[in-house]
Amino acid sequence: MSASERELFQRLSDAVVEMDEDEAVAVANEVVERGIDAYRAIEQGLSAGMERAGQLFDEEEYFIPELLMCSDAMYAGMDVLKPHLRSDEVAEKRKVVIGVVEGDTHDIGKNLVKIMLETSGFAVTDLGRDIPPGRFVETAKEIGADIIALSTLMTTTMEGMGAVVRQLSEEGIRDRFKVIVGGGPISQGFADRIGADGYAVNAADAIRLARSLVAPAEAAA
Amino acid sequence: MRRDQMTPLERLAAYGAGAPVDRLPCVPIVGNTAARVIGVKVGDFRGNGALIAEAQVAAYRLFGYDIIRIFTDLYTQAEAMGAKVTYPEDETAFLAAPAIDDLGDIDRLRPADPYRDGYLPQHLEAMRRAVDQVGNEVAVTGAVTCPFTNASFLVGADKLVRLMMRAPEKVHHLCELSLQTNIAYAGAIIDAGCTPSLTDAMSSMSVISPRQFREFSFPYLERLIDYIHGRGTSVTLHICGKTAGIWEAMVEAGADCLSIDNDADLGEARLAVGDRVRLMGNVHPSEVMLQGIPDAVGRATLSCLAQAKDSPKGFIVASGCSLPTETPFANIHAMLDTVRAAGWPARTLPLP
Ligand code: B12
Repeated sequence: MSASERELFQRLSDAVVEMDEDEAVAVANEVVERGIDAYRAIEQGLSAGMERAGQLFDEEEYFIPELLMCSDAMYAGMDVLKPHLRSDEVAEKRKVVIGVVEGDTHDIGKNLVKIMLETSGFAVTDLGRDIPPGRFVETAKEIGADIIALSTLMTTTMEGMGAVVRQLSEEGIRDRFKVIVGGGPISQGFADRIGADGYAVNAADAIRLARSLVAPAEAAA
Repeated sequence: MRRDQMTPLERLAAYGAGAPVDRLPCVPIVGNTAARVIGVKVGDFRGNGALIAEAQVAAYRLFGYDIIRIFTDLYTQAEAMGAKVTYPEDETAFLAAPAIDDLGDIDRLRPADPYRDGYLPQHLEAMRRAVDQVGNEVAVTGAVTCPFTNASFLVGADKLVRLMMRAPEKVHHLCELSLQTNIAYAGAIIDAGCTPSLTDAMSSMSVISPRQFREFSFPYLERLIDYIHGRGTSVTLHICGKTAGIWEAMVEAGADCLSIDNDADLGEARLAVGDRVRLMGNVHPSEVMLQGIPDAVGRATLSCLAQAKDSPKGFIVASGCSLPTETPFANIHAMLDTVRAAGWPARTLPLP
C-alpha cells in the first residue's frame, strides 16, 4: 500500500472515531477521485475506525451517543464509496437478518450489532424490535439469509430465541441458516441449550463470530 | 418462621431515627407480579386504578414488605404527552411509538396534566385507594419516570441520543417538558398522600457517559428533587445498569436513597456514598428472583446484607430493579424470610 493510500485510510478511520461526517465524506470523495480501491478504503478506513470506536466503548471512553455518531460518519463515507465497489465485491456480501425477539423493545444493543455487521461487509436486514419467531424465519427464507441474529435483554423473552430455532427445525431448514444470539441475559450455555450456532458478548465479538460462521470450511478449520 | 413485630411505617420511622427495629426494611420491588396475586391479567390494569390498588394491597398483605409502589410500566407520563403504548393482554406494556415522529412537531408537545391526561388520573386513583386501605401501616409510593428517560419516549431513544450531539438544545427542551410533567405528577402524588419514587433507566452509564449525565440529566433531576423536598418529602432514585461513575452526582442531585441495580456493586456503593445516602439493593431480579430457587434467594439476600447492612445512612434489602411479572411467590417470601431471620442488628451468617 502506498503512503498516500495509508494516509487516506487513516484519515477515514479518524473521521469515524472523531464522529466527523463531513470529513468522512470529503476523504471518501478523495479516495474515489484518486481511483483507490473502494473496498479497501471501507475495510481499512471506515471499518477500522468503527472497530476503534467499539474499543473505546468497551473502555468506557465512548458511550452510546458517541458510537451512534461514529456510525453516522461511517455510513456517510460508505454512501460515497459503495457505488464504486467492483461488482465481484458486492456479490460477495453475506446476508444477515437481525431483530429483537417478541416482547422486548430494548434495541440499542441490537442497533450496535447491526452497525458493526454492516461495517464489516454484511448485508443486514433489520426487522426492528418485538419480532415474533415466524417473521425471522419468513424473512430469512425470503432474502436467502446466511445468518439469523437474535437479540434480547430480558430473561422473560429469551425463550423466543429457542422458538426461532425450533421453527427452523420443524420446517426442515435448520441447516440453511446460522443462528447467533446475544444480549444481557444470554450466555454460551443458553445458546448451546437452544441449539444456536453461536453467542457473543458484545458487538465486536459478534462480528468475529459472524465471520467465522460464514467462512468457507477450509478457512474456518 | 419469625413474624414481623412492627408495621412497615413503624419500622422505617424507628430505623430512620436510629432506634431499635425488629428487622431491616425489605423491598422486593413488586410491579405487575401483583396481578398474579389476585389472579388477573396484567392488561386488566390498563386504566383501572381500583384494580391496581387492589392487587398492590393484596401483594403487600401477602408478602409483608415495607413499601408499596404503584407501578405498571415506565410509559404512563410519556403516554399522557402523546406517546403510543402497546398493552399486551397479559404482559407489561411497552412503547409502540414515541410522541412525535418528526422533530418539526416538537413545539406541539405539552407537559401533561396529571388529573386529565392519559392514565395518570387512574394511577393517582390507585395511589389514593391504596393509602385509604393501608396507608396507616405502610408507605405508598408512585413511580415517576424521570426527565431524561421520559424524553427518550417522546422522540425515541436513538433520536434523543443523536440529538445530544447534534442539537443539544432540543434535548434540553424535551427534558424541560418532561420535568414539567414530572413536577405536576409528583405534586399530585404527594397530594394523594404518597411519595414519588424516581426511576431513570436511560441515565445509566450503560447508555450515556457521566459527563453527558451531568449535562442532560442531572439539572432536571436536581430540580425535580428540589421540588419534592420543598413539599417536605424525601425521595429514592433508581438508575438501572451501571452507575458507579454517577453515584456522586446522584447524591448531589439530592436523592435521599439510591436504589442500586444488580449490574452495580453494592459494597462499592456503600464505601463511596453510604455515608451520605441510604442505599437499597440489589438481589438480581431475573437470575435470582425469577429463575432461582428460594435457597439461592436466601444466599443472595445474605450477600447483600454482608455488603451493606451497616451502611452509615441505612440500608434497605431490595431487588436490584423491579421484579419480572412471573417471579415465583416462594422467592419473594424467601427474601423477606431471610431478612426476618437475620433480625436486627442483622446477622449475616447462614442460619440453621
Ligand atoms: C436503557 C434501558 C432501557 C430503555 C431501552 C431503550 C431502547 N430503545 O433500547 C427503556 C427505558 C425503554 C427500558 C425499558 C424496559 N426495561 Co430496560 N434497561 C435498559 C438498560 C439500563 C441498558 C440497556 C442498554 O441499552 N445497554 C447498552 C447496550 C449497548 O448493551 P446491550 O444491549 O447489552 O448490547 C450489547 C451486547 O449485549 C451484545 N448484543 C446485543 N444484542 C445482540 C445480538 C447478537 C446476535 C449478538 C451476537 C450480540 C448482541 O452486543 C451489544 C453491543 O456490545 C438495562 C440495564 C442493563 N444492565 O443492561 C435495562 C434492562 C435491560 N431493562 C430491564 C427491564 C426489566 C425493562 C422493562 C421491562 C422495565 C419495565 N418494568 O417496564 C422495560 C422493557 C419493556 C419491554 N417490554 O421492552 C431489565 C431486564 C431484566 C431481565 N434480565 O429480564 C434490565 C437488565 C434492568 C434490570 N437490572 O433489571 N430499558
